[in-house]
Amino acid sequence: MIFGTTTVSRTLTICVLVLAASAANAAEAPPAQSEQPSHEWTVEQVVLAIKEGRESSVSFEEETFSSLLTKPLIARGVLRFTPPSRLEKDVLEPSHERFVVEGDLVTFESERKRVKRTISLDDYPGLRGFVEAFRAGMTGDAALLKRLYETELEGHRRQWALHLRPRDPAGKAMLHSIQLTGSEGRILSITIRLPDGDRSVMTLSRGHMP
Amino acid sequence: MNTRRWVPALWLAVMACGLWFVSTRLSIHSELGDLLPEGVTSTQRLLLSQVRTGLSGRLILVALEGAPPDTLAAISAALGESLRADGRLGFVGNGQQAWPREDLAFITESRYLLSQAVTAERFSEASLRLALEQRLDDLRSPLAPLIKESVPSDPTGEVLSIVQSWSGWDPPTKYRGVWMTADHARALLVVETRVSGFDADAQESIHQNIRARFDEAARSSGASPRLVLSGPGVFAVEIQRTIETEAWRLSTVAAGLVLVFLLFSYRSPRLVLLTLIPISSGIVVGMIAVHWWFGFVHGITVGFGITLLGVVDDYPIHLFSHMTPRDSAHDVMKAIWPTMRLGILTTAIGFSSLLLAGYPALAQLGLLAVVGLLTGAFVTRWVLPACFSQGFVPRDIKQGFPARGNWSRMGSALALIVLVLATSALIWSDTPLWEQDVGSLSPLSDDKKQMDQRLRQELGAPDVRDLLVIEGPTVEDVLVKAEAVMPKLDRLAQSGELAGYDIVSRYLPSYRRQQERQRALPERAVLERNLEAVSKGLPFAPGLFAPFLSAVESARSRQLVDRGAFAGTMMAMKLESLIFSQQDRWVAVAPLRGVADRQQLVATVEQWGEGSVRYVDLKEESNRLMTAYRDRTLQLLGWGLAAIACTLIVGLRSITLVGRVLAPIVCALIVVAAVLRGMGESLSLFHVATFLLVIGLGLDYALFFNRAEGTEDDRTRTRFGLLVCGTTTILVFGVLAFSTIPVLHAIGLTAACGSLSCLAFAALMARRDAHAA
Repeated sequence: MIFGTTTVSRTLTICVLVLAASAANAAEAPPAQSEQPSHEWTVEQVVLAIKEGRESSVSFEEETFSSLLTKPLIARGVLRFTPPSRLEKDVLEPSHERFVVEGDLVTFESERKRVKRTISLDDYPGLRGFVEAFRAGMTGDAALLKRLYETELEGHRRQWALHLRPRDPAGKAMLHSIQLTGSEGRILSITIRLPDGDRSVMTLSRGHMP
Repeated sequence: MNTRRWVPALWLAVMACGLWFVSTRLSIHSELGDLLPEGVTSTQRLLLSQVRTGLSGRLILVALEGAPPDTLAAISAALGESLRADGRLGFVGNGQQAWPREDLAFITESRYLLSQAVTAERFSEASLRLALEQRLDDLRSPLAPLIKESVPSDPTGEVLSIVQSWSGWDPPTKYRGVWMTADHARALLVVETRVSGFDADAQESIHQNIRARFDEAARSSGASPRLVLSGPGVFAVEIQRTIETEAWRLSTVAAGLVLVFLLFSYRSPRLVLLTLIPISSGIVVGMIAVHWWFGFVHGITVGFGITLLGVVDDYPIHLFSHMTPRDSAHDVMKAIWPTMRLGILTTAIGFSSLLLAGYPALAQLGLLAVVGLLTGAFVTRWVLPACFSQGFVPRDIKQGFPARGNWSRMGSALALIVLVLATSALIWSDTPLWEQDVGSLSPLSDDKKQMDQRLRQELGAPDVRDLLVIEGPTVEDVLVKAEAVMPKLDRLAQSGELAGYDIVSRYLPSYRRQQERQRALPERAVLERNLEAVSKGLPFAPGLFAPFLSAVESARSRQLVDRGAFAGTMMAMKLESLIFSQQDRWVAVAPLRGVADRQQLVATVEQWGEGSVRYVDLKEESNRLMTAYRDRTLQLLGWGLAAIACTLIVGLRSITLVGRVLAPIVCALIVVAAVLRGMGESLSLFHVATFLLVIGLGLDYALFFNRAEGTEDDRTRTRFGLLVCGTTTILVFGVLAFSTIPVLHAIGLTAACGSLSCLAFAALMARRDAHAA
C-alpha cells in the first residue's frame, strides 16, 4: 500500500523549466515604452515590460555549478511558451529531455532514463512558488510577485538586475535566491542559487540553436 | 396451593439471576468474522483467513466529491494529515504520503540486497557510465539538493529503484498534489486499518473519526462536499447495523401484532403476559448456554435465535386453549403433555441439526434454539400451571368459533391438487433451485457495489476477489517460487490479462536471490577500476564515490535480509499479509488486479505446471463454501427427519399415525419450496435452515391435530389453539418477509409460507376416526 513518492529526480528539473520558460517570454523584448515619463525603474515596470516582450520560443544555454563537480555542467535547448499557461523546456544537449508544465501538471520525458511521467506541481511545495511567481511575472502581476518574494531591483532601464528571495519556509529550504538580469523588457540571464551554495546560470538568446 | 407460591417465586429468582448474568457477564460480539467457519479444505481456510485479516479486507476507499477541484484538493490534504495522526490506521494514502525515515534508512542500508536491479552487469563500465550521466542530469535540476546527498554513496540509484518498485502500481493522477480522478470530480484517498474489516465496532469508530475529520476539513473550506466511504470494513458495519436496526424494527412490529392478536383471541391481558414467561425464560437460558459453550454470544445469533424460539410461544397457547372451568391448569397440562412432549422432542431434534452443521453461526443458533426450546417447554410444564389460581376460567372460546365442518373430505382432494401443482412447479420452474452466488445474500444495494468497483479502479486498489496462492514448507521455498512466478505475472500484465499484482518477493528477496546479488557485486579493486575508467571526461570531483565503494564492499558480506529485518517499518504489516504460516506450511498470497478473463487465468496458471502455485477466485470459493455448508445442512436435515420419524414411532406406537403426522410436513415443505421458486427465489443456506423451523412447527400442529380427544368440545379447543399458534407464527414471519435484508426475507418468507401450509395440510390430513364419534 505504498505509492510512488520518488519522482524527485524528475521533478527536480521543473524549476528550471518554469523559470526558463517564463523567462523565454521576455527574452526578446521590444524597446521599452518611451511614453513612460518616470525616470525611476520599478519592479512593476520590469514585470510589465517582461509581459509585453514575451516571445513564443527562445534558445538557452545553462551552466550548473555543484560542489560535487570540478567544472560546470552545460545544457542547451529551447524554451517555449504558449499563452495562457503552457511552459515547455526542450533540452537538446547533452541528451534529450523535455518538460511541459500545464496548469498543475508537469510532464517529464527523458531519453537517457527512458521514462515519461506526469506529476503534480503540488508534490513539491517549493515549486509552486516558482510557478506562481513566474506566471505573475508573465501576466504583469507585480503584487503577487512581491507577496511571494522579497524583491530588490538594481541598475537602470537599460541594464537591470532583479533579486528574488522566497518568503515562505518551504521555498527557502529549496532555494536561496533567483537573480534575473536584463535590459528593457528582455531577460538576459537567470541565476538560481541554492541554499548549499550550488548555482545554475541560464543565458538566453534570440533564435534557434545552430 | 403451596406450589402456587414457591414455583413462581423460584422462577422469578432464577430469571433475576439469569437476567443479571446476561446483562453484566455476557459478552455479545458483533464481529462478523467470529461467525465464519474454520473451513474444511486448505483453500477454504486460506479464503477465510484472508477474509478475516487480509490486506484487502482492511482497506477503506475514500472519495471526496461535490466541490470545485481546488477545494477538494485542500480538503484531501487536510484530511490526510489529520488521519495520519490516528494510530489505528497503518497507512493513509492521498498522494502526499512520504516514506517514513526508518523505512528509508532500512532501504538504504540493505539496498544492494533488496534492489532487483542488482546484477553483475549493473557494475560494468557501460552501465556505470549511464548511471553517472543520469546523476549529472539530476544535478542539473533545481531540486538537486534533495538527491545530491545520495549521489556519492548511491550513484547507481538503487534506493530510488527499490522505492519505485515497492510503490507497486500506477497511482491515480494527481491534482494539486493529491490523487484525483482525471475529470477532477473526485479526490481519492485510501486508508488501511490495523484491525480486521469484520470488526464492526472498531471499524465503525474509525469511520466516525474519518467523517469527523472530514467535517472539520470541509467546514474550514466553506464548501459543502460529500464524503463517500467504501470497502469491506465499511460494508461490514453497514450490513451489521442494517441487520440490527431492521431486525429490531421488524421484531417490534411483529411482537406488537402478536400481542394484539393474542389479546383479541383470549380477551385477557393476564394470559397474554403469561405467554411471555416460557419464551423469555428460553431466551435467557439459551443465551447463557451459548455463552458458556462458545465463550461469547453473537448479536446476530440473538436476533435470529429469538425468531426461532417463536415456536415456544405455541406451548402456553395450547395450555390456555384447553383450559376449561372444570379442569385446573395442572390437569390440563397433564392431559396435553404427552402430545406436547413429543412435539418438543422432535422439534429439538430438528433444531439440533443446526448444531452439527459445522458452521459457527448456525451452531450458535442451534444451541440457543435447542436449549431455549427445552427451557421454554420445562417452564410451560412446571412453572406456568402454578401461575393460575384454582378455578381460573379463560374465555370460553367455543362461542363464535365454528365447529369443524364437513370440508375435510373435500379438503383432502384439494390438498392433493395443491401438492401436484407444487411438485410440477418445482420441477418445471426456470428459477435455479439453489442460489449459487453468495453476493445475492448481501443486503448491499447494487449502487454501493458499483461505487466500490469504480473507486477501486480509479485508485488502482486490489480487488478483494483474485489471488495467486503460493505454498511451500519454508519461507525460503515460498520466496523462491514467488520469484519464479514474478516474470510470468509480468508477462500477463504486459499482454493485458492482468492490470497488476502485488507479491511478497517484490519486497523480500529469497536468501538464494540475495546471495546471487552478493556474488554479482564486484570486488573493491574491480569496481574502483571501472569507476575510474568511466569517470574520465565526467566532471565529478576526485574521490567523490568513496562511500559507494565501501557500501558495495560491505554489502558483499552483509547479513542477509529476512522477515524480521522489516520490523518497525511500514512494510512489516504489508509483509504479514503477503506471507504467513498456516498449519506448518508457509503461504504467500499475491493479490491480482484487473483480471480480464478468470477462466483463462485458471488455465494459464495450470499450464505453468506448478502444483504449489494456484489461482484462487475468492468469490467462487466463497460460493463453493456456502454450497458445501448448505449441502451439509441439507444432509443433516435428512438425518434429522429420520430421527424425528423414529421418535414418533416410539412415541405414537403407530406407523399410520406417524404417516399422518409426517405427511403434512413433507407436503408443506414441497409447497414452500414451490412457492419460493414460483416467486423467483433460489434456495440458500438460510432457506434450508428455516425448513427446520417449519418442521418444528408442523410437528406441533400435526401432533395436536391427531391427538385422540374425547369430546367435540375438546377438538374445537384444539383447533382454536392451533389456529392461534399458526396465526401468531404467520404474523411474526410475515413481517420478517418484508425485510430488505435477503437473509431475513428468506427466513420470514419460508417460515410464514411453511407455517401456513403445515397448518392447512395438518388440518386436512388429520385422522378422521377421532371425529367419527
